[in-house]
Amino acid sequence: MGRYADRRPNHAQILYRSVVHEHPRIGVEGESEVYGTTDEKDDVVSPVRMRNRQRRLSEEVTKRLSLPADIRLPENFLARSSISLSPDGQLSRRSRRKSLSEIGFGKIESYTKLDKLGEGTYATVFKGKSRLTDSLVALKEIRLEHEEGAPCTAIREVSLLRDLKHANIVTLHDIIHTDKSLTLVFEYLEKDLKQYMDDCGNIMSMTNVKIFLFQLLRGLAYCHRRRVLHRDLKPQNLLINERGELKLADFGLARAKSIPTKTYSNEVVTLWYRPPDVLLGSTEYSTPIDMWGVGCIFYEMACGRPLFPGSTVEDELHLIFKTLGTPTEDSLPSISRNQDFLSYNFPHYGGEALLTIAPRLDSDGLDLLAKFLKYNARTRVSAADALKHSFFNSLGPGVHMLQDTVSIFTVPGISLHRDPGIRSSSLASTGKLRRQSMLF
Amino acid sequence: MGDSEGRVHFRVVRFMHEAALRLHMKSVPLATACFIYHKFFREYAVKDFDPYLIGSTSIYLAGKVEEEHLKMRDVINVCYKTLHRRKAPLEIGDTYTALQESMASCELLILRCLKFQVVFVHPHKYLLHYLKSLQSWFHRREWEETPIASTAWALLRDSYHSSMCLHSNPEHVAVAVIYLALQCYGVEVPYSKYADTPWWKAFCEDVTLDAIKAIIKDILTTYDVEITFSTS
Repeated sequence: MGRYADRRPNHAQILYRSVVHEHPRIGVEGESEVYGTTDEKDDVVSPVRMRNRQRRLSEEVTKRLSLPADIRLPENFLARSSISLSPDGQLSRRSRRKSLSEIGFGKIESYTKLDKLGEGTYATVFKGKSRLTDSLVALKEIRLEHEEGAPCTAIREVSLLRDLKHANIVTLHDIIHTDKSLTLVFEYLEKDLKQYMDDCGNIMSMTNVKIFLFQLLRGLAYCHRRRVLHRDLKPQNLLINERGELKLADFGLARAKSIPTKTYSNEVVTLWYRPPDVLLGSTEYSTPIDMWGVGCIFYEMACGRPLFPGSTVEDELHLIFKTLGTPTEDSLPSISRNQDFLSYNFPHYGGEALLTIAPRLDSDGLDLLAKFLKYNARTRVSAADALKHSFFNSLGPGVHMLQDTVSIFTVPGISLHRDPGIRSSSLASTGKLRRQSMLF
Repeated sequence: MGDSEGRVHFRVVRFMHEAALRLHMKSVPLATACFIYHKFFREYAVKDFDPYLIGSTSIYLAGKVEEEHLKMRDVINVCYKTLHRRKAPLEIGDTYTALQESMASCELLILRCLKFQVVFVHPHKYLLHYLKSLQSWFHRREWEETPIASTAWALLRDSYHSSMCLHSNPEHVAVAVIYLALQCYGVEVPYSKYADTPWWKAFCEDVTLDAIKAIIKDILTTYDVEITFSTS
């Protein structure tokens, strides 16, 4: 073992030097990363881009052919091009990336920064405009620190989102690298669900509740099928555009053991949508942890107020138990051995009937709500099963036959209704910028 | 060239294993680190980069990906000490700052090169699951007397010395290491002779004996590389 060290006596220098000269090299090659519809999925590349790419390719060929006859291609390059003969087609991918970079992907100049939407633990979110397509985008600017490099949540968010392509999941269009920051370019949606509910005075049309809940479940069922958990569902993380399309945002929150109770900007991290098993210290993470939050959001949309607005973990649990009854060994196995639970010493509540707290829901709605709010995570309904619940029958059979990337509003007969509580002028102005989403 | 490059990677992964041990890293984050390392060098030539920097940064990055966060300071100190045994531990100073900057930019470089595709499915969870089932098929005494579980686990860990993890199905690898471990001890799964389906088919439907043998061959090649180190 000792001999490895002897071979590289100047290790520190080597480390340092290598990165310093690597960077310009990468820059010159124009390897910007491009995501969203343009990456890899050739079938969805727009005709404009296709044409551009072909032009680039032919240019490259002529360039190479017109090289002086005696030129010596660097060995490195030869090695690369031989690899590219593999079915993977590395060279073409590379040159496509290059051509995309020429169009303007991966460059901060391609986007105009507009208003600031909010600031969070590791990122600042701006509204922006793409100079390429003239469309609005959300720019999530992530600060990079020298101490610990790129934030873990950012790495997880990007690595997860890259593979998720669904009508109900926010699209990551582009990533821009600079020395000091990493900017994620997302599609822009006007509001989050919290703002939406505020704007309609917290009285939503039940049809809209149904449409939103269905879209939330569709997005989630897709994630869960891919074994991706959201872990932090709340109205602020559900974005809504003018058409009424709802999309999940803000993936990659860390596991609960590392969830801070306050962000750096001193905002309190909400506990309202967190399931009791997690509040009681469970570290078993699987898809049911998202389903509890769905129930809370469903209730909030239907009834106009948060279901369990607790301010501390104890308060949160107390509110839950008061409404649903203190858990017993039957409703939550091995609860009687949970140290956290025992130390709080909660009184024994019998719980209330859901009908009395959610009078606006019909029997189907109440049945579905109860299935989300199960203490035992294993008995909570899955997103895929919830979609098939009779509560959604009134949407018609068409909503079950959609392709992943197709919006629910393409189904005939599906459209948003006027929300009863809406103020006449509030559609256009969403009031103060209270958008907390995409922050942590 | 392939041969010598394989040897470089073997040496670096060896170093990564040692550093990970000192950092008290768990198996899966270490596996992710090796995966990141191999994936990087599948795309880029080893002579263009310092493999030890890539290896050290892979360890650090894997900690973030698997949410077993490591402090960059610890990673730098441990990796430095692992590489420079006879030198004094690293002091805070110019060298340390340079290394820190290197690692921070190298992390971004790796993320860009891998297009942020750094979340992987490893054979570990399958292996654990299969071993659990296998244990209940065996007679208790026989299971306790032969270290099949720990051998399979060790084989899996060692398999990350080569880039096999990049192109093998995780479920197949889990089956293959059990197969090899059983062969090493000359143990047969009880009632195999009477069973309609071989035990490995019961675990994973789409695996074939050829696939198992190919993986075993890859694993054994790694041990051949190791021998060339201890004799040279």
